[in-house]
Amino acid sequence: MSRRVAIVAYAQTKHEPDKDSTREFMIQEVATGALRMAGISKADVDTVVNASGDFLDGRTISNMKTVASSGAYLKDESKVEMDGAFAAFYAYTRILTGNHSVALVVGESMASCYPGYIPSILSLDTSFDRPNSFLHEISAAALQATYYMHKYGITESQLAKVAVKNLRNARMNPFALRSIQGISMSTILKSRMLYSPIRELCAYPFTDGACALVLAEESKVWQLTDKPVWIEGVGFCHDSYYLGERKLSECESVALAAKTAYKMAGVKDPKRDIDVFELHENFSYQELMFYEALGLCPKGKGGETLDARVTEVNGQLPVNPSGGALAANPVHATGLIRLCEVAMQIRGESGKHQLKKKVRTGLAHGQHGLCAQDNIVFILRGGAE
Amino acid sequence: MRNIAIVGVGITKHVSKRRDVNIPEFVYEAVKAAIEDADIGIRDIDALVTGNMPGFEGVNCPELWGGGYWGGYKKPMLRITTGGSTGSSVAQGAFYLVASGVFDTVLTMGFEKQSDGATTVGLESAGMSDFVAMRAYGMPELDPAGAIGMFVFQAISYMARTGCTIDYFDRAAAMLRSNAAKNPYAHIQQQVTAEDIADTPMIAYPLRFGHTCPTSDGACAMIVTTKEKAQKMAKKPAWVNGWSSCAEEASIAGLHGAGSINIDPFDQRGCKFAATKAYAMAGIKEPQKEIHLAEPYVPFAHQLFLYPERLLLFNEGESFRQFDQGVMHRDGRLPICPSGGVVSSNAIGAAAMIRIAECALQIMGKAGERQVTRDVHTAVAHGLGGQANFNVVTVLGDKPAGR
Repeated sequence: MSRRVAIVAYAQTKHEPDKDSTREFMIQEVATGALRMAGISKADVDTVVNASGDFLDGRTISNMKTVASSGAYLKDESKVEMDGAFAAFYAYTRILTGNHSVALVVGESMASCYPGYIPSILSLDTSFDRPNSFLHEISAAALQATYYMHKYGITESQLAKVAVKNLRNARMNPFALRSIQGISMSTILKSRMLYSPIRELCAYPFTDGACALVLAEESKVWQLTDKPVWIEGVGFCHDSYYLGERKLSECESVALAAKTAYKMAGVKDPKRDIDVFELHENFSYQELMFYEALGLCPKGKGGETLDARVTEVNGQLPVNPSGGALAANPVHATGLIRLCEVAMQIRGESGKHQLKKKVRTGLAHGQHGLCAQDNIVFILRGGAE
Repeated sequence: MRNIAIVGVGITKHVSKRRDVNIPEFVYEAVKAAIEDADIGIRDIDALVTGNMPGFEGVNCPELWGGGYWGGYKKPMLRITTGGSTGSSVAQGAFYLVASGVFDTVLTMGFEKQSDGATTVGLESAGMSDFVAMRAYGMPELDPAGAIGMFVFQAISYMARTGCTIDYFDRAAAMLRSNAAKNPYAHIQQQVTAEDIADTPMIAYPLRFGHTCPTSDGACAMIVTTKEKAQKMAKKPAWVNGWSSCAEEASIAGLHGAGSINIDPFDQRGCKFAATKAYAMAGIKEPQKEIHLAEPYVPFAHQLFLYPERLLLFNEGESFRQFDQGVMHRDGRLPICPSGGVVSSNAIGAAAMIRIAECALQIMGKAGERQVTRDVHTAVAHGLGGQANFNVVTVLGDKPAGR
């Protein structure tokens, strides 16, 4: 792998619960936005990777009608039906081979057009789990949360505290869907209980939104930007479908993905080497589990790490200064938004939620499946080197 | 870029309904066959690339459920889906992952267990999203008649522009079904004549029942690896020397959208674009002379003539005349679809991958009774998806490309 690949431009929509738009217009908005930022037209793009889902789009072959809006007409296009961060990985390998120099990655989702948690029920084992319908995205998460809390003595107020932290950060993020004034512990603890112990504000909001990135290989990078954000490491991993087969109180696939990414990027101690973390936490408890899996603290100490305030925006290990997926979660775009937010922090373009400290290296994470079954971890680094 | 090769292939027998297994168990059969074919273990697999068209069996992202059954436990896994071309897009995902140097050995599989769901539901949800266009073309929106509703336009256009007639389609289907009779994995294995096909009812003019593909349960898996490992794993690997894909605006229904134009489904310039790029990558200058075998994606009989032309193997409008001279038959100069093609077995997500797998088997000399009589040094495989707007082309050879 001699070639290097960098993120050179990005764009995301304002994320909303019910956008007065269509998928095609959302995609076009972010695709043209990202290309404009790179100062290029669609003629300069070699390959396009879309991230969307047939079940969420409610149509078979969801990328069929988004060829024009994503600028893929007469180009080498493909679709990754996973979180957008996986699509970014696929675009990255496409560039590494040398077949393509500039790639556009687009992820989108319109939750206002699909029936809530139903698509997650439709991903279940058809012979047992689906007809019994005990499980879906949020009930499975409630099981995991309960087990994790029981095993390590994590309290409900700690879960709420994650939401307070992220939603406070979201107030500073103009793209966030959730923007709640005067957020406090009581706001979170008064929100509706969905599945114990998960409350409404501790779960992601259904979101309409899209995000796009432009990736380019080293020789092209400097023509497109003077602030490239290099992809230094990436790892991803699939875990068992059966919750009983997993070590449910740990996110092993996050740990394995991070191990690969750290090794590739030469990260020895993530606490020392990484300046900012953007995690795809569908539920507040997951953020605590990810702290542990990513090596930010020992097993079971996620709650203590949170209490020590090191993961706050002005802390030593800022996690989700954008507000994370609790602020906005357009499925299939969320992981891309994490990459986008890290790139913005490294380039110093985050505006009101820009960290005070100098950001050189960042970690972005994406997930797919029940209880974070598939995970991907990117290490991004800025600078001329 | 690294040279890469296919070292193992597994295909299940295609049938209408496999009631004895569920989706993960069914796909496992192909995975096991591919791993045994390459004579490796699941430990040798570094990553998986998988895909299918979830609307056809009604399971959202079935790899979440099935990944563990296929050796994906605690391994990187990627899901790629692009419609009918899914199988070839998935395979190209594996090619990119290996050629980029990120992984050494990748297991890739495409599958469809259509008997678990309703094929028409899967197809209609693709068509219904564009009902305004469908009405404009006189297609009843509540009964778009599946994929044939779109491909009859292509067939008529082909006839009008080239002078081809329906009896050629009868003969094409007869050849494909007879080829399938020699293929142990094919769904419809019939030794039939053109007269038998001509006797079948007209579904939508000009395509008869005998011209159309069945709905199958089927799965295909392949092992893709690096040059160094391929030479250890296989006596004669099938080298993947060139690949490319091209997206066009959806034809027929491409009336609205951002600046879209209305494309004649006969045109298929995306296929020419993709083929040109793939040949260039494989170092093939004159495909008409240098390609020895082709597996185009032929779910409807007229495409046996259309796609070889778009793959630049024949001049435009000439392929059915060449067919008359026996060029495309199993013992011909340029055998096309010796496997029997998609007309004989169509498991959506597997079909386009099987085109690549069949080319690989012919190059490895492992095609059994359907092995063609001529020597095969190079072959081209094609996948078609979306509303005939995704074309995916792969060029294989018996020697690695010199790069």
